[in-house]
Amino acid sequence: MQLTHLNVRGEANMVDVGDKQATRREAVATGRIVMQPQTLKLLVDGALPKGDVIATARIAGIQAAKRTHELIPLCHSLSLSKVALDFDIDEQNGCVHVEAMCRLSGQTGVEMEALTAVSVACLTLYDMCKAVDKSMRIDAVQLESKQGGKSGDYQRDGNGYETTSPIVTGAGAAGEVRIGERCVSPCVRVKFLAELRERLGENEATISLDEMESRDVGGLKAALARRSEVFSALSDRRTLCAVNQVMANDNAPVTDDDEVAFFPPVTGG
Amino acid sequence: MNIGVNVQLAPFDMAYGYDDLLAERTDVGAVVSFTGLVRDFNESPEVTGLTLEHYPGMTERTLEDIGEQAWQRWSLQGVRIIHRIGYMAPGDPIVRVSVASAHRRDAFEACDFIMDYLKTQAPFWKKEHAQQGDYWVKERDTDQYDALRW
Repeated sequence: MQLTHLNVRGEANMVDVGDKQATRREAVATGRIVMQPQTLKLLVDGALPKGDVIATARIAGIQAAKRTHELIPLCHSLSLSKVALDFDIDEQNGCVHVEAMCRLSGQTGVEMEALTAVSVACLTLYDMCKAVDKSMRIDAVQLESKQGGKSGDYQRDGNGYETTSPIVTGAGAAGEVRIGERCVSPCVRVKFLAELRERLGENEATISLDEMESRDVGGLKAALARRSEVFSALSDRRTLCAVNQVMANDNAPVTDDDEVAFFPPVTGG
Repeated sequence: MNIGVNVQLAPFDMAYGYDDLLAERTDVGAVVSFTGLVRDFNESPEVTGLTLEHYPGMTERTLEDIGEQAWQRWSLQGVRIIHRIGYMAPGDPIVRVSVASAHRRDAFEACDFIMDYLKTQAPFWKKEHAQQGDYWVKERDTDQYDALRW
């Protein structure tokens, strides 16, 4: 993999795009600005001193996309055919999600334009709200997808910032996972604790010994994973296990009426 | 073995364990105590409180086991471990470990050992509350390295 913005001597180099085929290019970038709930409320109510925050940020984002080449040294100036900004107010997480889409038919990609649009829209939101809240934080500015061009299409896996930011939990978390009925035959009682419980949306499960190919923790994990995809999380290296309240690994045997708990690394003290 | 373990919802006194370790004896030469408190900054700069979850039954057994291991490794006269669960505010004590011995080195080292093992083995989980929302505290690699010292 080579950096096209550096020449053989490692010096900055603007790529000659004259010989590239003009193709339809599109890029989507997202980011967010996290703020105090009160600030978000003022924003929603249109009660901030500088007026209509979202409309202003939208214009700022569009303008920024058009001027990206003035800001980023080795970017080409492009004639964009379309720039669209979307704002999504997220009261639960106290933030505004910003999404920018840039499109053109040309010889170079538009991801820098989309990223710049998101960044400047977030900065404008900050500027419009800073009179009441200086603790706001802009984060998770990232490319979501791009289409067209030599390097091919790109699509971000999963939801970028959800995995890196701390795990935000609701009150107990509503379970989506379906667990089978209580068994009458010999079975193992399974508990899920702390963050793992909230991530799985389940407190406990009962697994019949007949469902397990091998009567050990590994067999139990496999039986759970067959019930639902979400239980594949139990095979994470981070996930710990205790059988009858004693730490255990995948080879630990389990038998009728055993209590098996799965939990994340401990954080007491 | 003179080991006492307590896991409770209620707040505990900052001097917990001290009188108990010294009651009716005069052969104790040293008592070393560690108190862990709720900080108002951790993963988020403004922690407003935390809720501690545990695995009832396993928690007590693990703490007793850690106390016994310390008892085997050092020459001790008494061990008291108390850990709170449930909601706590910044400044509240979470945990207190007190160790009595004839000479100070045993008490210092055993107390350090018990805390390192407690932090990496006892089934407690902290959920911090902050302005931006609640989140589960991440484990720290440094705690694992600390526990490997022993």
